[in-house]
Amino acid sequence: MRNRASNTLSKGKIRQSWSKYNLYNLQRFRSPPTASRTFFQQKWTAKALARAYHGEQVREGQWKRMFSRRIRSVVPMNTLDLAKDDGSETSAGRGSGLKTAEDPSPSRRVPYTNMAFAPLERRLDVAIFRALFASSARQARQFVIHGAVTVNGQKMRHPSYLLNPGDLFQVDPERVMFATGAPKTRFERRETRQLKQKDQKEDNDEAEAEPEQEAKEAKEESIEKKDENVKDTLKALISQAKTIMSKDKSVLPAKRKQELRGFQKRVRAVLSRSATSTVLTDSLEAQFSELTLALKAKRAEPAPKEGKKSTKEQPSEQEAAAASQTENTGDKLSEAFQKAVEGEEVDTSELSDEEFDVLRRALTQMRDNPIDHSKPYSTPWCPRDYMSAFAFIPRYLEVNQNICAAVYLRHPVARPGLAEVPSPFGETVSTPAYGWYLKRRW
Amino acid sequence: MPPRVQSRRVSSILLPYLAPSSASIQPSSCPSQILSRQFSATSAPQTKLRREMFAWLNTEGAALKDHVPGETNYLPNPRNFNETNLKPFPHNDNFISESILSEELRNEIYTRVVKKKRSVRAVSVELGVEMKRIAAVVRLVELEQRQRAQGKPLALPYARAVHEMVPTTRLAEKGERQAWHEPINDLPAHPATGAQIFYPVPESRSFTRVDAGRVFSAAPALENERREAISHPSDLAEDVLNKKPGAIEMVGKGDNAREVLLPADARIPHPHLVKMELDRIAFPEERRQIVERNVKRIARQDEIEKSRREKAEAWRERSIRHIEPEGGRFDFRFQNVEFSKQTTGANGRSHKAPGRRYGVPNQSHKRGVTKIPTRVEA
Amino acid sequence: MVVRIRLARFGNKHSPFYNIVVAQARSARGAKPLEVIGTYNPVPKRPTNLYDENPNARPYKEIALDRSRARYWLGVGAQPSDPVWKLLTMAGLVKPKPATYLEKNV
Repeated sequence: MRNRASNTLSKGKIRQSWSKYNLYNLQRFRSPPTASRTFFQQKWTAKALARAYHGEQVREGQWKRMFSRRIRSVVPMNTLDLAKDDGSETSAGRGSGLKTAEDPSPSRRVPYTNMAFAPLERRLDVAIFRALFASSARQARQFVIHGAVTVNGQKMRHPSYLLNPGDLFQVDPERVMFATGAPKTRFERRETRQLKQKDQKEDNDEAEAEPEQEAKEAKEESIEKKDENVKDTLKALISQAKTIMSKDKSVLPAKRKQELRGFQKRVRAVLSRSATSTVLTDSLEAQFSELTLALKAKRAEPAPKEGKKSTKEQPSEQEAAAASQTENTGDKLSEAFQKAVEGEEVDTSELSDEEFDVLRRALTQMRDNPIDHSKPYSTPWCPRDYMSAFAFIPRYLEVNQNICAAVYLRHPVARPGLAEVPSPFGETVSTPAYGWYLKRRW
Repeated sequence: MPPRVQSRRVSSILLPYLAPSSASIQPSSCPSQILSRQFSATSAPQTKLRREMFAWLNTEGAALKDHVPGETNYLPNPRNFNETNLKPFPHNDNFISESILSEELRNEIYTRVVKKKRSVRAVSVELGVEMKRIAAVVRLVELEQRQRAQGKPLALPYARAVHEMVPTTRLAEKGERQAWHEPINDLPAHPATGAQIFYPVPESRSFTRVDAGRVFSAAPALENERREAISHPSDLAEDVLNKKPGAIEMVGKGDNAREVLLPADARIPHPHLVKMELDRIAFPEERRQIVERNVKRIARQDEIEKSRREKAEAWRERSIRHIEPEGGRFDFRFQNVEFSKQTTGANGRSHKAPGRRYGVPNQSHKRGVTKIPTRVEA
Repeated sequence: MVVRIRLARFGNKHSPFYNIVVAQARSARGAKPLEVIGTYNPVPKRPTNLYDENPNARPYKEIALDRSRARYWLGVGAQPSDPVWKLLTMAGLVKPKPATYLEKNV
């Protein structure tokens, strides 16, 4: 199906998408004018607006067949009220209940018409989008068609599959990370290209090496020598790296950065086989600087408080002292972190409990979220821009983000003051739109 | 191309680990983020709308680009700035971003149900989580454990980021009272109650929920004897649970037959809570006894439901014979069916009989008929 | 004429599905049989591994059968076709077909 649903600024339609164009459209949306417009015109506009968001990928005829005028709603019951009154009180008097002195809290209206597009929320592609597994309903649809989605453990290739209550759907975590993660930067794209080229070269080399299996025995000696060479160069490189890192770490001048990068490149050249080893050296730079920064911020927080308590005359001195202290601890921590990253034994005796905790967390974090240029998204993974403005999970889904699986618990319902169907439109749009579909014109 | 919006990204790489809910830490910029074109002098042709959009994204919209861990970051609502913004859509006041279960609460539910063998109903009342949700959580956590054991890839950084952006219900710490996640006693609105009915009742007669249900389903009013036997509408819930004969009455004949609408006390998911409140009203002093009695009631209801489930399961097991031939690639499952006058019907075309039907046109390719699977067996 | 217990193909292209029918031997495959005593789905279903404790469960095929009717028709001399014979053997209603006979006919 061709995607006609672009996020154009001129039309200003709101879509099921996380793009910044859509965000801007959402921000500047104003409900359509009603004055000097016929009722038909109002309904037409409302329908067009609502359908651009709700199930834009569904043909109009298909949606009309899905539409149901029956709207599911629930009333949360208060058991105390049920116990107090068997119903005779509310029906007493002239049928409208006995008037009591204190009136109970005013009952909120049930926004029925906001549920007009509830049947579309059953669709698999929409549910994937609602579970925050894809950045747009179109992308969710593509995931389904490309076979990255299972329903109840079986591959489901129909985006229009209507989920039944209790269905468990699961998306390939890699796709989810791709859909929700920040895209690669230019630098990362280059790295990926290089990685690919290297892999190809290796494959070619291996292909060439295969026919020469007979000559392998003769070459064994030379390979052994090569191994020794590799070890030597590695050792040299590591010592070089240590000298680089032993110097001031928090502020890296440009030249140092270059050196470091050159070092990483060479290490990669040596350890060309395993991508995992380069991962560690790569992430060192970015993650560790953050670690120290965060630690400093943590340390800096309590310092001014103490200053206020003791003497207000010399706060600057104390702060300076605290700062120097944090610098010291930062140095210690940096050493430990380097050691850990390089696979050496870490001497944790010098670190305080808190620092040790920080170190441990940083290392686990590095294991969970490594730099890996073979991935299609920017690594270490961080959420894409403007994701947070669209991040909500409706109650009719129960989602486990770790495995990118979700259960469709029940159909969305309306309750007093709340409608569970996520919609950017208020009742000024949803009511005429519902009215449009109530009347059968087909 | 317009100049890229260059605000600093919250790197949720490390910070969330270090300070889970404090926003005091200054976000540090990603080093790789600064590389994009800063010195490009050529200005791409832009429409007015695009210019306006990027102007907005650079000023007001810049705050929406990255999130602050532990806070929602939705479009600001022009009407109220002070409260925490839970409305992702500023024009829709009827939709709010409701909280999700935190990781700890999810694991707590799993341990209580699976490890401590508590019943779903009891856990639901303790933690204020719907019973369906509890069942789903147990399934999902189990699946996660299996995938971890199998070494399948997980989306851990993604999960952490989502839990930072979306409001979550935390697990109460020791000594704290657990905040309820959601209302657990939701009464679905029955379609029969949609009608507006004028039903005159003498003022001297007490007209209860039981009577209202009968009116809605067009059933004759209760006889006096039976009415007097019902002290409170929640008695009917007991009858339904015990499958007392006549607890669920039918009205209408043939295809029109339908159940008489029961009062809300019998249709809510936790009818025992009404009984507990009744106890509380009747005996305000005996707190411990009330709690004990409620526990007993839950246990009894669980017992009954469990035995019913087991019976159904056993019946299903009995009706299907598993045969596993040696050396073959497949297993076979034999299900018992019945070919008789009752199942085939008078003309032999009833759908209750086994097999595809003869002499009935196949409607499966008609317009408007669903051609894709409608259910997937788990 | 002989009464046979045999399979009648239903389902669409590439998705076979069979009725297990009792019919006169010379009647057409799609003709209305004497009785439909069951169904046989030859497309194996794969265990989803979502809930099954056994990780190496084999794929399975589903058969529905009215055992009492099958026993009755066998008792009055209905002859199962070879595929049905295999199914009925698994259901425990007939003895396995003698090996020599099978070999001769392979």
